[in-house]
This record gives sequence, structure tokens and C-alpha cells, in this order.
Amino acid sequence: MSFKLFVSAAALVGAAAVAGAVIAAPVDGAATFAENCAACHQPQGQGVTGAFPKLAASVVVQGDPANLGWILTHGRGGMPNFSEDMSDDQIAAVLTYIRSSWGNAAGPVDAALVKAQRGAPKPVDTGAGLPFH
Amino acid sequence: MFTDIDGLSRRAFLERLSAAGGTALLMTGMSALGFGIASAAVAPPVMSGGKGKKVIVLGTGVAGLTSAYELTNAGYDVTVLEARDRVGGRSWTAKKGTKLTELGGEAEVCDFEEGQYINPGPWRIPYFHRGYLHYAKKFGVPLELLNNDNDRSYINYEKGTGPLAGKPIRKVEVAADMRGYAAEMLAKQVKQGALDAQFTAGDKELFLDYLKSEGYLEGADLKYLGAEGRSPLVNPGAGLDPGPGVESKPYAMTDILHSNTWKVLRSISNLDQQRTMFQPVGGMHELPKGFVRNMKPIIKLQHVVEKISQTPGSITVAYTDEKGAKGSITADFCVCTIPLSVLRTIEIDASPKFKEAIGGVSYALVGKIGIQMKSRFWEDNHQIYGGHIYVDDPLISTISLPSTGWLGQKGVVLGFYPHGAAAARLSGMSLADRKAYALAAGKKVFPEYADSAEGSFSMFWHRTPFNMGGWAEWTEESRAKYYPTLLEPEGRLYLAGEHLSYLTGWQEGGIESAWQQIAKLHTRAMAA
Repeated sequence: MSFKLFVSAAALVGAAAVAGAVIAAPVDGAATFAENCAACHQPQGQGVTGAFPKLAASVVVQGDPANLGWILTHGRGGMPNFSEDMSDDQIAAVLTYIRSSWGNAAGPVDAALVKAQRGAPKPVDTGAGLPFH
Repeated sequence: MFTDIDGLSRRAFLERLSAAGGTALLMTGMSALGFGIASAAVAPPVMSGGKGKKVIVLGTGVAGLTSAYELTNAGYDVTVLEARDRVGGRSWTAKKGTKLTELGGEAEVCDFEEGQYINPGPWRIPYFHRGYLHYAKKFGVPLELLNNDNDRSYINYEKGTGPLAGKPIRKVEVAADMRGYAAEMLAKQVKQGALDAQFTAGDKELFLDYLKSEGYLEGADLKYLGAEGRSPLVNPGAGLDPGPGVESKPYAMTDILHSNTWKVLRSISNLDQQRTMFQPVGGMHELPKGFVRNMKPIIKLQHVVEKISQTPGSITVAYTDEKGAKGSITADFCVCTIPLSVLRTIEIDASPKFKEAIGGVSYALVGKIGIQMKSRFWEDNHQIYGGHIYVDDPLISTISLPSTGWLGQKGVVLGFYPHGAAAARLSGMSLADRKAYALAAGKKVFPEYADSAEGSFSMFWHRTPFNMGGWAEWTEESRAKYYPTLLEPEGRLYLAGEHLSYLTGWQEGGIESAWQQIAKLHTRAMAA
């Protein structure tokens, strides 16, 4: 029962976060990463072998940004769906951050791309190179 | 679903059930048809004649302990390897001196006082978890009731609007008012004849009687005006003061609706969340201890599995022991209860299909904090004895008050129990920040909360070595694609655990999975 309550509560958080994003200052991708992602993927994106994918020097992280946007907004394997906890701007900022950190050198991701992924069907190539966790 | 078996006799129906699903399904069907023998199938498999065949059991959670106990009793020569320096796996109790270092985290030592504890993993036992109750009874592990839903408890929903949002209000008030108003509105419609088409002769008056009873409706016009059990302003007592006491007044329906607090109301609880549940007296590690008391000393602690290899006639498990020395053990069979989140990191001789299936399920991100309070202010000042505080901050999710040590001096409160993305976020905080977050949330409900806090212990299963997750979270897709593969032995390797059940995250899933898998193993060993 508590998890059902949790879902409805999360929906409300999401609505507030998305609404707030309109007037929010630019999002700090590094801080957003530290807050939401580092517990599993580790502070330097090094991951935990077999459990949490490494993001440093990663082909997937430097690959199709739409794929990454889809994963953040839908979850994948053991990774939760962040669509209700993070705004499009926050997700874009965190993706931009990881794509340019720890040996990754790929272009920025914008909020419009993330937004487009929220309702998008699962990309066909999601599985390639990304271990389950 | 069993009330209308068009033309199929009960006997024929049961025969079909039995053919389709074996004895367990037959018993379920008989129970549903009113034969009342549901419990008969819920017991360990009856096995004997193991004749000293060797079995390695990996892991000492309830699945591993169940396997080792039953196989040993059936005559098998069992050796158990456990990675940790203790038995029990997730069936664990954090108390004074309990240590944990999360992956990449700080070293933590539980600083509760003697006698205080928190169950970081499973903490409540539903009545229908017959396997758990079977072993608790068998090993004399005392259980006590856990109050899983307390009407006196507070709801503090901050994300609604109106005068009741962000203010702790008693669940009983919301329940009385919302159900009362709903019953009143429905009764009005019924009385006006708006629903006459729904009733057959005599039903209408009975239905109105039900609404009166359900909603505490009063008078000829069936109004809801409050209820005596709705948290009186002054409780009844002696003499004239307090005398009869003073009843409270209902909230306005619109205020309740906009506060979102009605979201905690359901006609009945989910099957696995009954209002009263069980917990072992003293903590969840008591059942594993019960197993160990009743088993031969065959458990090797601090033996970390490195590799599982197989030949057509044997299976070998290579390990590293507590001194860092490598060793191995060879047997006829292996029952592996290591969580799939960890097993996927271990080298095993298995088909690509089996390995893909091991990697095909995700594990829950989840954790808890226990906070020792120097006084039981929730009892002393608020008259709340156990149960949960309902909040709508997903990082907290649940605050829970202990169902043990009633009216004592101190107690440990469960300060958060988040899941998924919220757990990812909270688990990234330092131990101090986690505690500060929990105290700030609790203080919004109880003014005494933060000032009463003493020691604490927080942990997240997805950051805990040898677990890497709370429990298996199957999707419909992964159930269809991978689950059946893992239920079958891979050579001489049998998997068992909560992950191979539809009771994921519950100890019962581990116990019943173990029963199924060792029964398969035994049938094969006997046929050999």
C-alpha cells in the first residue's frame, strides 16, 4: 500500500517540478548528478561492476542522446524512472554533464529532446552495449 | 470467480485444477470452494533417502537456510557457504554494534542502546505466509503483533491545498468524515429513488441500513454529523468534568478532498498489508538464529563465491575465505540463493540463455533509517501505539512507530523507507545528511521528533555488498522471457530465493521457492 501512495505522491512532485522549471535558473548538471545519480553510478561515473553501469568513457553515454533521454524518463533495468522526479531541464543538464565528463566528449543535450522522449516509444537500439542492472 | 462454474461439477473442476497445477492449486481451489483446507499444501516437501549425496547451499538468507535444513534432514550431506560474517542475509536486525560500509560509503556502526533495534530488511509477516510461520513455530521463535495501520496515526500531506494540507491530522478523522459524507450522499440518492433500478425487492431498505451503519448517519434525513470514535476533543471520564467528554466536529468535505489525505483510505488492505501483521520478538534475525540452533554446524561464514563450474557428474564452487585463501568444494548438486544482482557478477558454467536470464531482472533501490528516540513521545503525548505516519514526500515515504517496547522509555522509529528514484537520491547523501533529512520530515509531524533523536542507523540495499538491491523487480516482459528459465536447473545448479517467486521482497518467497527447488532436486537425486 505504501508504494501505491508513493506513486501518487511522486506524481505531484513531478507536476510541481515541471511547472517550476519554467522560471527556474539554469540547472547545475554536476549538482543534479551528485544528488540523483552518484549513489549508484558513483561520484566519478565509475559505476560498480556488474551492478551499476560505468558512465565514464562510455560508448552509450556518448551515443544517441535520444536513447539517454528515453532511459532517464522511462527507467531501464534496475534504474528507476526519473520522469516524475526531474524536469526536462534537469535531465538535459545531467546528460550534458555526463557526456562531457570523465573521458566522455559528446555534445550537449537540450530540454526539448528530453521532452520529446517522455511519450516516445522505446527505442529499438536501447539494449546495445548497456548491461542490465 | 469460483461462484459460477456453469455446468462443471465441483469435483470435475477440482480434478482439472489438480491436473493443471498440482496439489497446491488443488488446495487453493478447494479452499475457494469452501472446503476450508487451504493450509494442507503449505508445508515443506516430504523428503527422505538422500543417502549422503553432497549438496552445496550458497547463502544463508531464509531460502538458503530452508534448503540446508530440509536437505540435511532428508539425509543429504550439506555444506553452506556464506559470504558475510553472519547468517540471515536480508533477514537482519541492526542493533548496538552492527557494522556496515556501503559501496563507496562511510563506515557505519549502529549506536543504539542495548535492546533497541531496526529491521533494515523485511519487517512484517502477513498471516498467509505459512512457510515463515511454520518455521517460527517449529523453532519456537516468538512473534508479536505489528500494528500495520493505526487510525490514531497522523497523515501529513504537504502537496495538497486548503486548510488541511501540510498539517498533521488523524487518519481516523479523515476516514470518518470521508466515508460519512460519501455514505450520506449515496443515501440521499437512494432515498430519492435515483438508484431504484439497482435494487431488487427488499434490498433498498437493507442498503440504506448499511449506509447508516457504515457512515454513522443520523436522523430521518441520514446526515453525517461526526462519529463518537472520531478522535474526541475531550475523552469521556469520571464525574462531570470531563464527564461525557466532547466530540470533535467533522472537517468540510471540500477541505479533505483538496488536502489529498483521502488517498490513504481503502475499503480493505492489500493481501500482504493487513492491519495487523507479525514480527519476531527482538528482530528479524531471530528466525535465521532459530534455523542455526536446529542445524548441524555446516555453515562456513566469510566464504565468498568466486566461480561455479560443472562437469556432467559434479558441480564445484570456488571461494575465497576469511583469510583470503582460495579453496573449492565439489558436490552432486548446488542450491544457489545468491541474489541475481550479485550472481550476475560471478563466473558460472551456464548456457548463454541462463546467464542472460540472470541478468534480465532488475533490483529495487530501497533503504531505511532507524532513529532511536529518548522518549516515546508518540505514545506519551499523542497516544499513538504503533502504525505508520502517512507523508507524501517520496524521499521519506513512510515513518513507522515501533510495535514493541510499548510504554517503555525509548524506542526506534523508522524514519524513512524510500524506493526507486527517491531512494537513489537519499542514498547519495552522507549518513549525517540522511539523518538530518529524516529529522526535518519527522519534526513536521511531531514537534518532539528532532530533539528526542539519539543514535541512528541508515542503509540502502542497492549500496550494500552481497545484495546490490532490495529485491527482484520483475516486469511482465521479464517474467515471460526469463523467469521460467531460472526455475529450471542449469546442469546441477538450482537457483532459489524470493526472486524466483511471485512474493518478491518477502521472506515467504524465499522459503517457498526453496521448497520447490529442493523438491525438484530430490526427485532427480532419487531417480539417479
